[in-house]
Amino acid sequence: MKPADDIRKLFKDAGLRVESSADEQVFEDMVQAQHGADENPKRVPDGWRRTMRNPITKIAIAAGIVIACTVGLFLWTGTGSGIALADVLTRIQQVSVYMYQMSGTASGQATTGTAIDQNVHATILLSQECGMKMTMEMTDPNGTTVTYHEQYILPHKKSMITIMPKHKKYMQIELDDTQLENIQKQNNDPGTMVKQILECERESLGKSTLDGIAVEGFRTTDPAYLGSMAGEVDARIWVDVKTQLPVRTEIDMQMGEMHMHAVAHDFEWNVSVDADEFEPVIPEDYTALSSTPLKMPATSEETALRGLRLAADLTGRYPEQLDVMTLTLYTEKLVTGDTPVAQKLRKNRAGLEREENIAKIAETIMPIQGIGIFYRFLTAERKDPAYYGEIVCPEDKELVLMRWKASDSEYRVIFGDLHAETVTAETLAELEAALPK
Amino acid sequence: MMEDKLLIVGFKQGRREALRQIYDKYKVEMLKLAVVLLGEVNTAEDVVHDVFVKFAQSAHRFKLTGSLKSYLATSVVNRVRNCRRDRLRRGETGLETPDRFAASSRGPQQWAILDEQLVRLSDALRQLPYEQREVICCHMELDMTFREIAALQRASLNTIKGRYRYGLEKLRSLLNGEVTR
Repeated sequence: MKPADDIRKLFKDAGLRVESSADEQVFEDMVQAQHGADENPKRVPDGWRRTMRNPITKIAIAAGIVIACTVGLFLWTGTGSGIALADVLTRIQQVSVYMYQMSGTASGQATTGTAIDQNVHATILLSQECGMKMTMEMTDPNGTTVTYHEQYILPHKKSMITIMPKHKKYMQIELDDTQLENIQKQNNDPGTMVKQILECERESLGKSTLDGIAVEGFRTTDPAYLGSMAGEVDARIWVDVKTQLPVRTEIDMQMGEMHMHAVAHDFEWNVSVDADEFEPVIPEDYTALSSTPLKMPATSEETALRGLRLAADLTGRYPEQLDVMTLTLYTEKLVTGDTPVAQKLRKNRAGLEREENIAKIAETIMPIQGIGIFYRFLTAERKDPAYYGEIVCPEDKELVLMRWKASDSEYRVIFGDLHAETVTAETLAELEAALPK
Repeated sequence: MMEDKLLIVGFKQGRREALRQIYDKYKVEMLKLAVVLLGEVNTAEDVVHDVFVKFAQSAHRFKLTGSLKSYLATSVVNRVRNCRRDRLRRGETGLETPDRFAASSRGPQQWAILDEQLVRLSDALRQLPYEQREVICCHMELDMTFREIAALQRASLNTIKGRYRYGLEKLRSLLNGEVTR
């Protein structure tokens, strides 16, 4: 051991943590300073710390607290966070099986121009061991059922099965380990929601009562919650003070012209269910959508390139964003829309047997969804991905269309003309600086 | 380093997310540096707050020549020096609060919560002459070379090595029992 190693170890082991609300206030001071720099470049804002140190402010705040407590005797149910959100996540993870209802609406216009106005109601059963079972009903504004289906995610069979009673069909998609893990990460259950909120800037909504249960609320409006999607979000969760388990979650998302609102409620924790509940029951007269199970595209750069190339060939441009909804509507428009490309594709499929027809449709849908799957994988793996489909076209051979971290020192870049290169961060910084604003 | 370059591009373009990532990446390191240099947590918080706010304000004219970590660390060191100079000018010792780290003595608006080891280390470091303390902190905490520290303190390499050696000896005796030779 070198003479200074013991002291060095002491330095490395010594540490500190930051208190989150103060931390947020410092960051807000920074944001204000950044935005105020143009107007008054010489001024450094005093910020919350100086303000709080000011003795006059201290007295004013102390007086305010006294008044608030006196006036609030009949209303006050407590402030501050008695519940640590990380503990809520641990509690959820300790529950082996739970069930809840989900109600939601999607309205407005998708980025592809498709008008949306639908209601969704779902019952979700989640098991640590057996996977997920969801029954989902989508209705239009008149209450007419548009879609009803049952969906199963079965880890032990590495597959996702969807049963569509309206059409007497079912569809089986095979998943590899990575895909299975990603789907489980992204199925947006309350555990995932808590995990995401924990990674975002958040605030306590204080204590309240919901359906006679004492709850404490948390909220985030941090865009980071949306991961790879661009838009605004307002996610709230109310947790039972006693059990530390969620009672209700609400989420509002505005993505371009589309608004989505979803509420998860009526949670039942540690429900007793038979493993058979997770075994799909497919009536004998139902037929498979495809004679062999469909395969999800591999989560790889090749898949992404194939999907992007197909999108460029078919439409002359790339999907604007890579979230599930945008890509679903993008492919739906290609398959059923009235655009010349969609009509041409339909013409090509005309006269094909049902199986061939489905295979052709899958050939279009799967690679394009594959871009999004790969991007979500990169996001989950914290590979620092970015996608510029909104501003980069197939003609832009020198502009960055998509990039992600390839190693500690390099980034992989897919350019507008779909050639790919590995570049240093310095080069990437120059390339991204050249992107149109 | 490479990630930082990209973050700087985003920061200069006014992206909140880039600023957030820079802040999240370096705030704890900078707070720790300020605490060990000053031996007092409230002022350390002020120093780091000012460094980050100034940094945020410099978005349009910011030009990075070395590493972002070095830039921020140098800003912290310089601000700590200014702070000490102001205090000396006002005749303050900065040691008026007997328990400079205890949460109970710091009021409700706390930012940094120190673990016991950091409290003990800072207490011991505070008893060293400032120049020795700065050499040890820059070398141990920031992995700066003696040559870099010599440039920072505008002193010869031998002087820096001497300050390091004497400082280390005293620190070891102050931390007797905490460290083993």
